[in-house]
Amino acid sequence: MPNSTSTLPHQPYVLVAKRHHFLVRWSHWLNVPILLGLILSGISIYWASPVYQHKPDPTTGNFDVAADIGIWICAHVPGLHQYSNPSDLIYNHLSLGPGMLALALRLHWLCAYLFVLNGLMYVAGLVLGGGWRSLLPRRTDVLDALKMFRYYIGFPFAKLTRRKWLHPRFNTKYNALQRAAYFSVPVAGCLSATTGWAIHKPMQLHWLPAIFGGYNAARVWHFWLLWIYILFLVPHLALVFADGWDTLRSMIVGWSTRVEPSQVIAHDQ
Amino acid sequence: MINRENRNPSVAAKPVAMKKPERFFAEQPPEKIEMAPGRLHQLTRRDALLFGAGALAAMVGGGSLLPQETFSRLGVRRNMDSPGKEWFLNQALRIDDDVAEALYSGNRRVPTYTKSQITPLKNNYNGATPDSGYISAWNLTLGGLASGLSISLDIRHLATRFSVHEQITRLVCVEGWSAVAWWAGLRFDDLLRGYPPMSQAKWARVESSVNLDASGNPDPYFMSLDLATARHPQTLLATHFNGQPLTVDHGAPLRLLVPVKLGLKNVKAITGITYLADEPKDYWAERGYSRYDGI
Repeated sequence: MPNSTSTLPHQPYVLVAKRHHFLVRWSHWLNVPILLGLILSGISIYWASPVYQHKPDPTTGNFDVAADIGIWICAHVPGLHQYSNPSDLIYNHLSLGPGMLALALRLHWLCAYLFVLNGLMYVAGLVLGGGWRSLLPRRTDVLDALKMFRYYIGFPFAKLTRRKWLHPRFNTKYNALQRAAYFSVPVAGCLSATTGWAIHKPMQLHWLPAIFGGYNAARVWHFWLLWIYILFLVPHLALVFADGWDTLRSMIVGWSTRVEPSQVIAHDQ
Repeated sequence: MINRENRNPSVAAKPVAMKKPERFFAEQPPEKIEMAPGRLHQLTRRDALLFGAGALAAMVGGGSLLPQETFSRLGVRRNMDSPGKEWFLNQALRIDDDVAEALYSGNRRVPTYTKSQITPLKNNYNGATPDSGYISAWNLTLGGLASGLSISLDIRHLATRFSVHEQITRLVCVEGWSAVAWWAGLRFDDLLRGYPPMSQAKWARVESSVNLDASGNPDPYFMSLDLATARHPQTLLATHFNGQPLTVDHGAPLRLLVPVKLGLKNVKAITGITYLADEPKDYWAERGYSRYDGI
């Protein structure tokens, strides 16, 4: 029996590595409600004057491509044949709803200001924590990103066939594909904000829509930038859950128990 | 919180020495900390709970701002609207209007276009289009003048007394669409000089008594316009559209053309302008849109 008053000869420590500054973590999570608000209200605003239109349908008078998609889905998906308003299907499910432009604009402005403030908080976190260095693109990134892409694509097949599937080696915080994604998304955020202001103040800030090819082109930019977030989100969520608790925890509490890049790779395998 | 642990290694955590980075842009090795497992679990639990509470607060707070119609579609029968929610959302709208007002400059001209860049402009009367019968008896009534009088002007007087200005500018609708059109008419500024408003006036109430709702019943349209914008050299009282006198669709015989504002401020078939010291009511502001509408 060890004596309770004696000091232990060796205390079991664990080694942890700092991953994310707390401003980066908070702004990361605040993006969830803010972006959700922006996307839902944004699609409601889009309803009022769709960017993608065609000549009105002679029977229904419909001219909106998003309404066409709703009508097509209702006609072809069993269980939706009785849907009361097929042309509103997309807006009823992916936005606040049709016919509420004033309400949607109010929410969109609120979220837009918060999004810009949150973006500044994120940048401050990157600078204070030095994390920006890990996001900078490198010359070797194109080739390395292709290797990572090949790894991710082949991974499920290798698992199924129980074959060995080696993770590409790297000694940086992120692999090239992650770096490309984590660098592009803040850039997309900046572009969303600037194209938004270009549409919002096309007279006082008329040089801003001019950069994007005019007022109407700026609307198209703003619309397609939305898809960057959605395209990013799908693999982002899938990989976080595939990677496990340590990665998720690092974005909540800030540190990881994987202190060397080799451990990250070992875990991924 | 880990920083605090660094400064005070006696609480079972201590920093591990590491090398300084060699180059400014080069990635630094992560800061490594030794920590007792118990302490590690405790901090993890604390931060995870803190973030969980934050996520819950954001969900409830943000969710409560959703429109009532959205709640109804999600199956929530209870009325989720409250004065506090309205106040909060209107504050956001006010901030945005204040930003728009700060961005405005009386010296900044809006972009102008060439005739080849003109695009079609639809009749965007919100309700039914009025019958042309009103035009023969049409008058513009001015109120709130320095003279203290209320005067009526006919279109012949307006078209001959003031010099005509032309411009090809973009009209931008709150819905997002826009149209480039060629307008001609008198400057609002010239009318203000010809019939000066009372000295304390800061606002104009611009109205159209011929406006109709969707079922064709009278629905007078009224709009607030700050006099700084009214004095902008590109703010016209237009009489002509694309080289022709205005048609009923576009607000014959006189419409406001104020390209530094959203289309909903560009009142068609103006019948009255009243100058006021305080901000007047606005048709669309009463329906949840912003009031200043500067673009």
